[in-house]
Amino acid sequence: MDYLGQLLANGLVLGAIYALAAVAFTLVYGVVRLVNFAFGELFMLGAFLTASLMLPEVRLLGMIVPMPGFSLPVAALGAIVLTGALGVLVDRIAYRPLRNAPRLAPLITSIAVSVVLQSLAQTIWGAEELRFPEFHLATLPPVVLFDSIYLSVMDLVVMATALAAMLGLSAFIARSSLGRAMRASAEDQMAATLVGIPVNRVVAAAFAIGSGFAALAGLLYAQTYGFAHSNMGFLPGLKALTAAVLGGIGSIPGAALGGLILGLVEALGAGYLPNGTAWKDAISFVLLVGLLYLRPQGLLGKPELNSAGRGSLLGGASEFGAAWLRAGFAKVDGLLAKSAAAGPRAALVLLALAVLVGLLVPSDYWLRILTMVVIYGMLASGLNVIVGFAGLLDLGFVAFWAVGSYLTSILFVLVLKDQFGVAPADIWWLLYLNLPLAGLLAAGFAVILGTPTLRLRGDYLAIMTLGFGEIVRVVAINWMDLTNGPMGIRGIPAPNLFGIALGSPRAQFFFALALAVLVVFAIARLVRSYVGRAWVAIREDEEAAEAMGVPTARYKLYAYAASGFVGGFVGVFYAHSQQYISPLNFSLFENILLLMLVVLGGLGTFVGPFVGALIWIVFLQLALDLPFVQAYPETRFALLGVVLIVLMVFRPQGLAASARVALTMPGARPGALPGARAGRAKEAA
Amino acid sequence: MRAPSPAPLLEARTLTVRFGGLEAVGGLDMAIARDAIHGLIGPNGAGKTTVLNVLTGFIRPTQGQLVFDGEEIGGLGVNRLARRGLARTFQNIRLFGAMTVLESVLVGAHQRFSANALSLVFSSRSAREAERAMIARAYELLDFVGLGAEVADRIATTLSYGHQRRVEIARALIASPKLLLLDEPLAGMNAVEKAEIADLVRHVRAQGIAVLLIEHDMQVVRSLCDHLTVLEYGRKLADGPPEEVLADPAVQAAYLGRAR
Repeated sequence: MDYLGQLLANGLVLGAIYALAAVAFTLVYGVVRLVNFAFGELFMLGAFLTASLMLPEVRLLGMIVPMPGFSLPVAALGAIVLTGALGVLVDRIAYRPLRNAPRLAPLITSIAVSVVLQSLAQTIWGAEELRFPEFHLATLPPVVLFDSIYLSVMDLVVMATALAAMLGLSAFIARSSLGRAMRASAEDQMAATLVGIPVNRVVAAAFAIGSGFAALAGLLYAQTYGFAHSNMGFLPGLKALTAAVLGGIGSIPGAALGGLILGLVEALGAGYLPNGTAWKDAISFVLLVGLLYLRPQGLLGKPELNSAGRGSLLGGASEFGAAWLRAGFAKVDGLLAKSAAAGPRAALVLLALAVLVGLLVPSDYWLRILTMVVIYGMLASGLNVIVGFAGLLDLGFVAFWAVGSYLTSILFVLVLKDQFGVAPADIWWLLYLNLPLAGLLAAGFAVILGTPTLRLRGDYLAIMTLGFGEIVRVVAINWMDLTNGPMGIRGIPAPNLFGIALGSPRAQFFFALALAVLVVFAIARLVRSYVGRAWVAIREDEEAAEAMGVPTARYKLYAYAASGFVGGFVGVFYAHSQQYISPLNFSLFENILLLMLVVLGGLGTFVGPFVGALIWIVFLQLALDLPFVQAYPETRFALLGVVLIVLMVFRPQGLAASARVALTMPGARPGALPGARAGRAKEAA
Repeated sequence: MRAPSPAPLLEARTLTVRFGGLEAVGGLDMAIARDAIHGLIGPNGAGKTTVLNVLTGFIRPTQGQLVFDGEEIGGLGVNRLARRGLARTFQNIRLFGAMTVLESVLVGAHQRFSANALSLVFSSRSAREAERAMIARAYELLDFVGLGAEVADRIATTLSYGHQRRVEIARALIASPKLLLLDEPLAGMNAVEKAEIADLVRHVRAQGIAVLLIEHDMQVVRSLCDHLTVLEYGRKLADGPPEEVLADPAVQAAYLGRAR
C-alpha cells in the first residue's frame, strides 16, 4: 500500500507535467491540424532558459555570460514569455506559409524545426547537462501523507501549477473572445475567416499559449529531475504527444486526462513490472499503439480527425519566391522528372557511371562516403515503396532496418562467435543466407506492424508507426541478452566471398552497388505491374481503387511487406559494412532523414531516393569544410533543418513534383498491336 | 420486345438506410433485369446515390436484403462486390491522379491478374502474357468508349471532362462486369456528347451488361431506359416502363412538375 501510494504520487507529478505539454500539442492541433513536433524542443528550451536566468552566469557558445540570477518564479515567467514568442516566430516563418499545403510538408517542417532548435541548443549550451539551480522551496522538508508517502514541496508546487494553468486555460477558452475565436477556428477555419475572425492571429495565439505551456512543462520537468539537457525534450515530447492522442487530440480535457493516465501508467509500470524502470518508455508507446488500434480518435476525440486527403503526400504550390527561384525549381523538377521517366537504357548508363566512379575515385574516404550514399539510397528506396507509391506515411521504417542489422549481427557475433567459437571467416556464406532471411523476417514484422495501422490515416498513421519505431528502439536498448543493449554489437565481420574478404572501401562500394541493382530491379518489377498500379491507385483515391476491385487493405500490407523486406535486406549489409551497430543507428532522426531523401529526389520514382541520398550526403561532407561548421559540428544538423524548411516553404510539392514512373511492364507495350499502331499513325498524320 | 428474364440480375428487398435519425432510403423493393437499362430517377436528395452506394458496398444497409445473380450479397465489402461483377462510375469523376489513361483503365482489370511477387520480379511468361492481354483489352475498350489509342499515354486527369467520363467507363468495363452502375454520366455535357454517351450505354447493353443509370435528363431517360424506378424522400414512388411511369401524375407532381 505504501509502495503503491508513493508510485501514485510520483505518477501524478509526472502526469501533471505530461498533461501540460500535451495541452500544447492539442491546442495547436485543434486550431491548425498540425502535429508540431517542435514542442519537445520548446519544452527543452523552457528548461534551459529558466535555469540560465536563475544562475549568476552561464557558459554560452563556450563563453561565460553574466545572467541576472532571478528566483524560480521570475525566471520561469521570463522563460515562458520568451518561449511563447519563439513559438509564434516559428509559426510565422515555418508553418504559416504551408497552411494550405498537403499533409507531408508541414509535418516535415515541424520535424525540421525540431532538429534546428535541438542542434542550436546543443551549440549554445553545449552537449553537457546544465544543472538546474535549487529553489529555496526545494530545501523544505517533504510533506508526508498517510505516514508513508513522501512528496516534496516542489512536487506539490508542480501539481498546483499544472492544475492552475489548466483551469486558467479552460476559463480563457470558454470565456474570452480570443478563446471563442479559437474554438470557432478549430471547428471550421474557412467559416471563421468568413465571419471576420483574424485566423492568423488566432493561430499565433494558439502557438504562443502552446509554447508557453511546453516551456512550463519543461522547466517543471527539469526542476524535478535537477538538470537540463539539449535532448531532454525528445522523449517527453513524444510522450506528451502520446498523451494528447490518448485523450483525443484537439480536446483540452482529453490532454489533461491523457497526461495523467500516461504518468500513472508509467509510474506503476516502472514500479511493478520486472525491470520496469528500463521498460517504462516502451509502456507509453505500447499504450499508444493499443489505443490507436482500438479507438483511433482517442478517449475524448472526434473520429473525423482520422482522415487524410487524396493523392501524393506532397503537392500544392508555394505562394512565395521570386520568378527566377520558381523557374529554377521548375527546371530541377523537369530534370528529375525526365530522369525518373527514363527507360532501362538510361538505367544502364547510370549504372555504368556508378561503376566508373567506383573504379576511378582514388580516395578511400570518398569511397566510404559513396558507399553510404548507396546504402541510404537503398533504404530510402524501401521507404519509398510505402511512402511514395502507396502514399502511407511511415515513421517506423527504421525498425525493419534494425531487424536486418541485428539479425545478422546477433547470429555472427553473439551466437556463433561468442557461444560456439566459430570464426566468421569459416561461415562467410551465412551473410548471403541472411540477406533474404532478414528480408523475410522484416517483411513479416512489417505485416504484423502494418495490420493494426490499416484503419488509420494521415497524422494518426504517422504517430502509430512512430510508436512502433520507438518500441523497437527501446527493446534494442533494454533487451540486453539479445542485443547487448546500448553498448551495441562490435566485431561484425566485413563481407566475404569464398574466403576473399571484401573489407576494402572499394570492394564494399561494389558490393553495395550490386545489392542496389537487385533492390531497384525488384522494386521496379513490382511497381511496373498490377501491384504497383494498385499501390498508386490507393495513394490517389482509396475508395475508387476499392470500387475497381482492389482489396486495398491487402495491398497496403503488401506495400509494408515489400518496404520491410528491403529494410531488412539492406540492414544486413549495413551491419557488415559498419562492423558495429547500436540502437543509436536506428533513431527517429534516421527515419526522418530517409523520408527527406525521398522528398528531395522524388516520391514514387526509382532513381529519386539515390538522387536524394547523393545530394544530402555529399552536401553534409562539403559542409564539414566550412569553418563555422568545424567550430560547431552540431550546426550541420541545424543546416539540414534549415534546408528542409526553406525547401518546404518555397517548394511544398518537393523538388521532383512531376516525376513519375510508368506502371506497365515494359515488354508488354502494344507496339505490335495493329489498332495501336493505326492510332499512332493517325496522331502522326 | 425482349422476353423478360425469369430471375432478375439484382434484387433489393425492403432496403432501408438510416443515418442517425434520418431515413435516406426506406423499404425499397427493386429488381434489375439481366438485359436492362434501368433508370433510377427522382428529385435531388431523393436517395438515388445512396442506393447506388448501398449496391456497391460503400454504405451498409440498415435493413433489407440484396440478391445479385442468385446470391445474397448484403454486407460484402466494396472490392468483393466489384469482383462479383458490379462496376461503377462516380458522380464526380474519380480518376487516379498521376496515372496515364492506360494505367487507370488497367486498375479496373485488377481482379484479372494473379501473378505472385516472385513471378512478377522474374517477369515470368504467364505474368507477361496476362499484362499483354489486359493492355490489349484496354486498347479495345478505349476504342469502344470512343477514345483513340493516342490518349493512352496521357495523364488521365488532364483530359477534357467528356473524355474523362469515357475513361471512367472504360475502367469500369475492363473487368467484364455483369452490372454497370452509372451515376449521372451525362452531367455537364452538351447535346452531342449526351447522344454519344447514350449510344455508348446502348452498346454496353448489347454486350450483355445490364446498366443502372442515375440521370436527370428526362429526354435521355425516356429514350434510353427500358425500366424506371422513381424515388422521392427515399421511398419508391413508381416503378415500370418509362412511358407509364412518366405519365403517372404522382411522378409528374413530385419530379417533373418541379423541374418545369
